[in-house]
Amino acid sequence: MTTDPLAALRLPIVPIEPRPEFADALLRRIEARPGPLDRQTATIRYFVADLDASVDFYCRLLDFEEELRPSPVFAMLYRGDLRLLLSVPGGAGAVHTLPDGTVPQPGGWNRMTLQVADLVSTADSLRRHQVVFRHDIEAGVGVRTLLVEDPSGNPVELIEPTSGYHERRNT
Amino acid sequence: MGTSDPGALVAIYRWALPQVYGYLLPRCGSVVVAEDLTAEAFMAAVAAMQQGAAPDVNVAWLIGVARHKLVDHWRRQGRDERSRALMTQSDEGIEDPWDEELDRVVLHAALAELNGFQRAALTLRYLDGLRVTEVAEHLGRSVHATETLLTRSKAALRRAYRRSHDD
Repeated sequence: MTTDPLAALRLPIVPIEPRPEFADALLRRIEARPGPLDRQTATIRYFVADLDASVDFYCRLLDFEEELRPSPVFAMLYRGDLRLLLSVPGGAGAVHTLPDGTVPQPGGWNRMTLQVADLVSTADSLRRHQVVFRHDIEAGVGVRTLLVEDPSGNPVELIEPTSGYHERRNT
Repeated sequence: MGTSDPGALVAIYRWALPQVYGYLLPRCGSVVVAEDLTAEAFMAAVAAMQQGAAPDVNVAWLIGVARHKLVDHWRRQGRDERSRALMTQSDEGIEDPWDEELDRVVLHAALAELNGFQRAALTLRYLDGLRVTEVAEHLGRSVHATETLLTRSKAALRRAYRRSHDD
């Protein structure tokens, strides 16, 4: 049996020290990586026309809690692990205005989806408060769903799980 | 039983880093690429540990992660090269054994001239000494396709070797 001439390519692993700056920077990245228990809060920003009306809508009707309202154009709300930022666009020096002057507008079709325990009673409550419905309760896949608008016209989807609803297991 | 605490990786970091870097640098031949791949390998190891998908943390496992990153790198490179149509050379004489004594330094230099797919296949098979079935697994190809790739890669290496040797 002949030896494969390419056996000469065999390259044992010999430790090589990388640049100390690289080694230190990588270690910092590893140590800074959040652990599984330090889950980061998911944050959504909605643009709204009327901050007071919006805070009232989310807190009174959809179980959010007001965390911060440091200015007339910004509020931070929480609902469980979800953080909702409400910003009033425009105005002098507004950070969300694009370089070409475009000002963000409320509305559109992308939406947050909030789970509720009883969709029918939630819908009744929202109706009593003259909330705009884009569509009434409908059957989706694994959920019943309802699409409403906040006072600025941003869509908010409400769901109630039904059989077949998939929930990721907590680890 | 695996380890899910990234602290276990930090504990062996100073010892493991030169081993992983020492595996990658001679194989890719570039400090910039070796540093990128080393960082990718360690961060992938952290992610795997956090997801509970890591075995006990040791250097052999980290080298395996680094090997995957190296192969991914060459596959990306191979795709780029293929799009530039550099794999057009013929395969004549590919069954001929090399009967001369090969110059190890020239051989490694010739290897660096090959495209990403060929370099990955030959590195895993010959530099790392993996079995063909293991090479196939790393490359995500069938054993038959891997054998074909290895044969063509050896032919390409031989041409590159002869060019270098004749210079």
